[in-house]
Amino acid sequence: MTLEFMDIPATVSSPQVRTDPQQGLICLAGESYPENSFEFYRPVSAWVAGFLARDGRPLTLEIRLTYLNTSSIKCLIDLLDEMEEAHRAGRTVALNWYYDLEDDRAMELAEEFKEDLTLPFTIIPVRRDG
Amino acid sequence: MQNLYDLRRTLTSQGALLCFNGPFSHSIIEELGKAVRKYLETEEVQKSALMDVFSVYIEATQNVSNYANRAEWPEEERARLNAGIIVIGRSGDHYVVQSGNPVRPEDGEALGRRLDQLIALDKPGLKALYKEQMRSKLGPDSCGAGLGLIEMARKASEPLTYALVPDPGGLAFFSLKVIV
Repeated sequence: MTLEFMDIPATVSSPQVRTDPQQGLICLAGESYPENSFEFYRPVSAWVAGFLARDGRPLTLEIRLTYLNTSSIKCLIDLLDEMEEAHRAGRTVALNWYYDLEDDRAMELAEEFKEDLTLPFTIIPVRRDG
Repeated sequence: MQNLYDLRRTLTSQGALLCFNGPFSHSIIEELGKAVRKYLETEEVQKSALMDVFSVYIEATQNVSNYANRAEWPEEERARLNAGIIVIGRSGDHYVVQSGNPVRPEDGEALGRRLDQLIALDKPGLKALYKEQMRSKLGPDSCGAGLGLIEMARKASEPLTYALVPDPGGLAFFSLKVIV
Protein backbone atom coordinates (compact mmCIF):
# COMPACT_ATOMS: atom_id res chain seq x y z
CA MET A 1 0.00 0.00 0.00
CA THR A 2 1.31 3.41 -0.91
CA LEU A 3 0.20 6.58 0.73
CA GLU A 4 -2.04 8.54 -1.54
CA PHE A 5 -2.62 12.08 -2.55
CA MET A 6 -6.09 12.78 -1.19
CA ASP A 7 -8.28 15.62 -2.30
CA ILE A 8 -11.73 15.43 -0.78
CA PRO A 9 -13.76 18.50 -1.81
CA ALA A 10 -15.48 20.60 0.84
CA THR A 11 -19.26 20.52 1.32
CA VAL A 12 -21.46 22.93 3.30
CA SER A 13 -20.69 21.01 6.49
CA SER A 14 -17.45 19.14 5.84
CA PRO A 15 -13.99 20.51 5.11
CA GLN A 16 -11.74 20.00 2.15
CA VAL A 17 -9.03 17.45 2.92
CA ARG A 18 -5.83 17.56 0.90
CA THR A 19 -2.78 15.43 1.47
CA ASP A 20 0.63 15.51 -0.12
CA PRO A 21 2.62 12.45 0.91
CA GLN A 22 5.78 13.76 -0.80
CA GLN A 23 5.74 17.05 1.07
CA GLY A 24 4.47 15.43 4.28
CA LEU A 25 1.51 17.76 4.36
CA ILE A 26 -2.14 17.39 5.27
CA CYS A 27 -4.58 20.32 5.08
CA LEU A 28 -8.11 20.66 6.41
CA ALA A 29 -10.04 23.71 5.22
CA GLY A 30 -13.63 24.86 5.63
CA GLU A 31 -16.52 24.10 7.93
CA SER A 32 -16.68 20.97 10.03
CA TYR A 33 -20.03 19.71 11.30
CA PRO A 34 -20.64 16.61 9.18
CA GLU A 35 -23.59 14.30 9.77
CA ASN A 36 -21.17 11.75 11.21
CA SER A 37 -17.82 13.25 12.17
CA PHE A 38 -16.30 9.93 13.19
CA GLU A 39 -16.97 8.47 9.78
CA PHE A 40 -15.70 11.59 8.05
CA TYR A 41 -12.42 11.75 9.99
CA ARG A 42 -11.67 8.01 9.85
CA PRO A 43 -9.72 8.18 6.53
CA VAL A 44 -7.96 11.34 7.72
CA SER A 45 -6.72 9.56 10.86
CA ALA A 46 -5.78 6.51 8.81
CA TRP A 47 -3.69 8.66 6.47
CA VAL A 48 -1.83 10.32 9.35
CA ALA A 49 -1.26 7.00 11.11
CA GLY A 50 -0.03 5.51 7.82
CA PHE A 51 2.36 8.40 7.21
CA LEU A 52 3.77 8.27 10.74
CA ALA A 53 4.21 4.50 10.58
CA ARG A 54 6.01 4.63 7.26
CA ASP A 55 9.14 6.68 7.24
CA GLY A 56 10.86 9.28 9.33
CA ARG A 57 9.99 12.33 7.25
CA PRO A 58 8.46 15.43 8.84
CA LEU A 59 4.68 15.86 8.87
CA THR A 60 2.84 19.16 8.90
CA LEU A 61 -0.88 19.50 9.60
CA GLU A 62 -2.42 22.70 8.31
CA ILE A 63 -5.79 23.67 9.78
CA ARG A 64 -7.98 26.29 8.16
CA LEU A 65 -11.28 25.38 9.77
CA THR A 66 -13.78 28.18 10.23
CA TYR A 67 -16.10 26.20 12.50
CA LEU A 68 -15.92 22.85 14.28
CA ASN A 69 -18.79 21.15 16.07
CA THR A 70 -17.97 19.20 19.21
CA SER A 71 -17.74 15.81 17.53
CA SER A 72 -15.27 17.25 14.99
CA ILE A 73 -13.29 18.69 17.90
CA LYS A 74 -13.20 15.22 19.44
CA CYS A 75 -11.92 13.73 16.16
CA LEU A 76 -9.28 16.41 15.85
CA ILE A 77 -8.13 15.80 19.45
CA ASP A 78 -7.60 12.13 18.63
CA LEU A 79 -5.66 13.09 15.50
CA LEU A 80 -3.49 15.54 17.42
CA ASP A 81 -2.86 13.00 20.18
CA GLU A 82 -1.42 10.72 17.54
CA MET A 83 0.88 13.49 16.27
CA GLU A 84 1.83 14.38 19.84
CA GLU A 85 2.85 10.81 20.49
CA ALA A 86 5.04 10.85 17.37
CA HIS A 87 6.56 14.13 18.49
CA ARG A 88 7.44 12.69 21.89
CA ALA A 89 9.01 9.73 20.13
CA GLY A 90 11.33 12.15 18.34
CA ARG A 91 9.54 12.66 15.03
CA THR A 92 9.39 16.07 13.40
CA VAL A 93 5.74 17.10 13.31
CA ALA A 94 4.14 20.54 13.26
CA LEU A 95 0.73 22.10 13.36
CA ASN A 96 -0.19 25.39 11.74
CA TRP A 97 -3.61 26.65 12.80
CA TYR A 98 -5.04 29.54 10.78
CA TYR A 99 -8.04 31.47 12.10
CA ASP A 100 -10.14 34.46 11.12
CA LEU A 101 -8.68 37.49 12.85
CA GLU A 102 -12.16 38.77 13.72
CA ASP A 103 -13.32 35.54 15.31
CA ASP A 104 -12.17 35.48 18.95
CA ARG A 105 -13.86 32.14 19.50
CA ALA A 106 -11.74 30.51 16.80
CA MET A 107 -8.59 31.81 18.50
CA GLU A 108 -9.76 30.58 21.92
CA LEU A 109 -10.43 27.14 20.45
CA ALA A 110 -6.94 26.97 18.94
CA GLU A 111 -5.43 28.00 22.28
CA GLU A 112 -7.41 25.35 24.13
CA PHE A 113 -6.03 22.72 21.77
CA LYS A 114 -2.53 24.04 22.27
CA GLU A 115 -2.73 23.89 26.08
CA ASP A 116 -2.55 20.12 26.08
CA LEU A 117 0.20 19.66 23.49
CA THR A 118 3.95 20.08 23.36
CA LEU A 119 4.46 19.65 19.59
CA PRO A 120 5.29 22.78 17.57
CA PHE A 121 1.92 24.55 17.28
CA THR A 122 1.64 27.90 15.53
CA ILE A 123 -1.55 29.93 15.68
CA ILE A 124 -1.79 32.30 12.72
CA PRO A 125 -4.43 35.04 12.35
CA VAL A 126 -5.62 35.71 8.83
CA ARG A 127 -7.70 38.55 7.48
CA ARG A 128 -10.66 37.19 5.64
CA ASP A 129 -11.30 39.02 2.44
CA GLY A 130 -14.85 39.62 1.24
CA MET B 1 -56.00 26.09 13.52
CA GLN B 2 -57.94 28.30 11.08
CA ASN B 3 -54.91 30.30 10.09
CA LEU B 4 -51.35 30.78 11.21
CA TYR B 5 -51.82 34.30 12.50
CA ASP B 6 -52.03 33.35 16.20
CA LEU B 7 -49.01 31.07 15.96
CA ARG B 8 -47.07 33.78 14.19
CA ARG B 9 -48.12 36.40 16.73
CA THR B 10 -47.00 34.18 19.61
CA LEU B 11 -43.62 33.62 17.96
CA THR B 12 -43.15 37.28 17.12
CA SER B 13 -44.08 38.41 20.63
CA GLN B 14 -41.38 36.07 21.96
CA GLY B 15 -38.77 37.70 19.73
CA ALA B 16 -38.49 34.71 17.42
CA LEU B 17 -36.44 35.39 14.29
CA LEU B 18 -36.54 31.94 12.80
CA CYS B 19 -38.22 28.69 13.64
CA PHE B 20 -38.56 25.22 12.28
CA ASN B 21 -40.85 22.41 13.36
CA GLY B 22 -40.42 18.97 11.81
CA PRO B 23 -37.89 16.20 11.34
CA PHE B 24 -34.27 17.40 11.55
CA SER B 25 -32.40 15.93 8.62
CA HIS B 26 -28.77 16.81 8.03
CA SER B 27 -29.68 18.91 4.99
CA ILE B 28 -32.32 20.84 6.97
CA ILE B 29 -29.72 21.52 9.68
CA GLU B 30 -27.31 22.81 7.01
CA GLU B 31 -29.89 25.01 5.30
CA LEU B 32 -31.30 26.55 8.49
CA GLY B 33 -27.76 27.08 9.71
CA LYS B 34 -26.95 29.05 6.55
CA ALA B 35 -30.08 31.13 7.11
CA VAL B 36 -29.14 31.85 10.72
CA ARG B 37 -25.67 33.00 9.74
CA LYS B 38 -26.95 35.13 6.83
CA TYR B 39 -29.45 36.79 9.13
CA LEU B 40 -26.90 37.54 11.85
CA GLU B 41 -24.43 38.85 9.27
CA THR B 42 -26.99 41.36 8.01
CA GLU B 43 -27.59 42.37 11.64
CA GLU B 44 -23.87 43.13 11.84
CA VAL B 45 -23.53 41.02 14.93
CA GLN B 46 -19.93 40.59 16.13
CA LYS B 47 -18.26 37.57 14.59
CA SER B 48 -17.71 35.79 17.89
CA ALA B 49 -21.34 36.31 18.99
CA LEU B 50 -22.54 35.05 15.61
CA MET B 51 -20.41 31.93 15.95
CA ASP B 52 -21.70 31.33 19.51
CA VAL B 53 -25.30 31.36 18.28
CA PHE B 54 -24.42 29.15 15.32
CA SER B 55 -22.53 26.73 17.53
CA VAL B 56 -25.42 26.39 20.02
CA TYR B 57 -27.81 25.92 17.09
CA ILE B 58 -25.67 23.13 15.60
CA GLU B 59 -25.15 21.29 18.90
CA ALA B 60 -28.85 21.53 19.78
CA THR B 61 -30.12 20.26 16.42
CA GLN B 62 -27.47 17.56 16.04
CA ASN B 63 -28.21 16.32 19.56
CA VAL B 64 -31.90 15.91 18.65
CA SER B 65 -31.03 14.23 15.36
CA ASN B 66 -28.44 11.90 16.94
CA TYR B 67 -30.90 10.90 19.65
CA ALA B 68 -33.73 10.20 17.21
CA ASN B 69 -31.46 8.21 14.89
CA ARG B 70 -29.85 5.96 17.48
CA ALA B 71 -28.89 2.65 15.92
CA GLU B 72 -30.87 0.67 18.48
CA TRP B 73 -34.23 2.31 17.69
CA PRO B 74 -36.61 0.51 15.36
CA GLU B 75 -37.52 2.47 12.23
CA GLU B 76 -40.96 3.62 13.47
CA GLU B 77 -39.44 4.82 16.76
CA ARG B 78 -37.00 7.03 14.85
CA ALA B 79 -39.86 8.61 12.94
CA ARG B 80 -41.72 9.22 16.21
CA LEU B 81 -38.69 10.74 17.94
CA ASN B 82 -37.34 12.81 15.06
CA ALA B 83 -39.91 15.57 15.36
CA GLY B 84 -38.00 18.49 16.73
CA ILE B 85 -38.60 22.17 16.99
CA ILE B 86 -36.02 24.94 17.01
CA VAL B 87 -36.65 28.61 17.66
CA ILE B 88 -33.95 31.25 17.43
CA GLY B 89 -34.88 34.62 18.77
CA ARG B 90 -33.68 37.75 20.39
CA SER B 91 -34.29 39.04 23.88
CA GLY B 92 -32.78 42.43 24.61
CA ASP B 93 -29.05 42.20 23.96
CA HIS B 94 -29.05 38.43 23.87
CA TYR B 95 -29.89 35.73 21.39
CA VAL B 96 -31.96 32.81 22.56
CA VAL B 97 -31.79 29.33 21.06
CA GLN B 98 -34.60 27.01 22.11
CA SER B 99 -34.92 23.43 21.01
CA GLY B 100 -37.43 20.73 21.81
CA ASN B 101 -38.01 17.11 20.92
CA PRO B 102 -39.95 14.01 21.97
CA VAL B 103 -37.99 11.69 24.23
CA ARG B 104 -38.62 8.49 26.12
CA PRO B 105 -39.53 9.67 29.64
CA GLU B 106 -36.57 7.89 31.28
CA ASP B 107 -34.17 9.49 28.77
CA GLY B 108 -35.71 12.89 29.43
CA GLU B 109 -35.18 12.44 33.17
CA ALA B 110 -31.57 11.36 32.65
CA LEU B 111 -31.00 14.38 30.43
CA GLY B 112 -32.47 16.61 33.13
CA ARG B 113 -30.11 15.17 35.75
CA ARG B 114 -27.16 15.73 33.39
CA LEU B 115 -28.23 19.34 32.85
CA ASP B 116 -28.63 19.88 36.61
CA GLN B 117 -24.96 18.90 36.99
CA LEU B 118 -23.90 21.35 34.29
CA ILE B 119 -26.05 24.18 35.64
CA ALA B 120 -24.29 23.84 39.00
CA LEU B 121 -20.86 24.42 37.44
CA ASP B 122 -19.11 27.75 36.81
CA LYS B 123 -17.14 28.43 33.62
CA PRO B 124 -13.82 26.94 34.86
CA GLY B 125 -15.73 23.88 36.10
CA LEU B 126 -17.37 23.50 32.69
CA LYS B 127 -14.02 23.81 30.94
CA ALA B 128 -12.48 21.12 33.16
CA LEU B 129 -15.42 18.78 32.49
CA TYR B 130 -15.20 19.53 28.77
CA LYS B 131 -11.54 18.58 28.67
CA GLU B 132 -12.15 15.42 30.66
CA GLN B 133 -14.98 14.38 28.32
CA MET B 134 -12.84 15.16 25.29
CA ARG B 135 -10.24 12.61 26.41
CA SER B 136 -12.71 9.85 27.21
CA LYS B 137 -12.94 6.92 24.84
CA LEU B 138 -16.19 6.51 22.95
CA GLY B 139 -18.04 3.38 21.95
CA PRO B 140 -17.69 2.42 18.26
CA ASP B 141 -21.37 3.21 17.55
CA SER B 142 -21.27 6.53 19.26
CA CYS B 143 -22.57 9.31 17.07
CA GLY B 144 -21.83 12.32 19.21
CA ALA B 145 -18.98 13.04 21.55
CA GLY B 146 -21.13 13.77 24.62
CA LEU B 147 -19.78 17.29 24.48
CA GLY B 148 -22.74 19.16 23.00
CA LEU B 149 -24.46 20.04 26.26
CA ILE B 150 -21.21 21.18 27.87
CA GLU B 151 -20.41 23.29 24.81
CA MET B 152 -23.85 24.95 24.99
CA ALA B 153 -23.40 25.63 28.72
CA ARG B 154 -20.00 27.19 28.00
CA LYS B 155 -21.39 29.48 25.29
CA ALA B 156 -24.39 30.52 27.39
CA SER B 157 -24.38 33.85 29.20
CA GLU B 158 -26.98 32.61 31.70
CA PRO B 159 -27.60 29.16 33.19
CA LEU B 160 -29.36 26.74 30.85
CA THR B 161 -33.01 26.03 31.58
CA TYR B 162 -35.08 23.04 30.56
CA ALA B 163 -38.54 21.54 30.91
CA LEU B 164 -39.90 18.03 30.58
CA VAL B 165 -43.62 17.53 30.04
CA PRO B 166 -45.63 14.36 29.35
CA ASP B 167 -46.73 13.89 25.76
CA PRO B 168 -49.62 11.63 24.71
CA GLY B 169 -48.55 8.23 23.46
CA GLY B 170 -46.10 7.42 26.24
CA LEU B 171 -43.42 9.88 25.27
CA ALA B 172 -42.32 13.07 26.97
CA PHE B 173 -41.36 16.38 25.42
CA PHE B 174 -38.05 17.95 26.33
CA SER B 175 -37.33 21.67 25.87
CA LEU B 176 -33.99 23.36 26.31
CA LYS B 177 -33.36 27.10 26.41
CA VAL B 178 -29.92 28.59 25.86
CA ILE B 179 -29.36 32.32 26.22
CA VAL B 180 -26.20 33.35 24.38
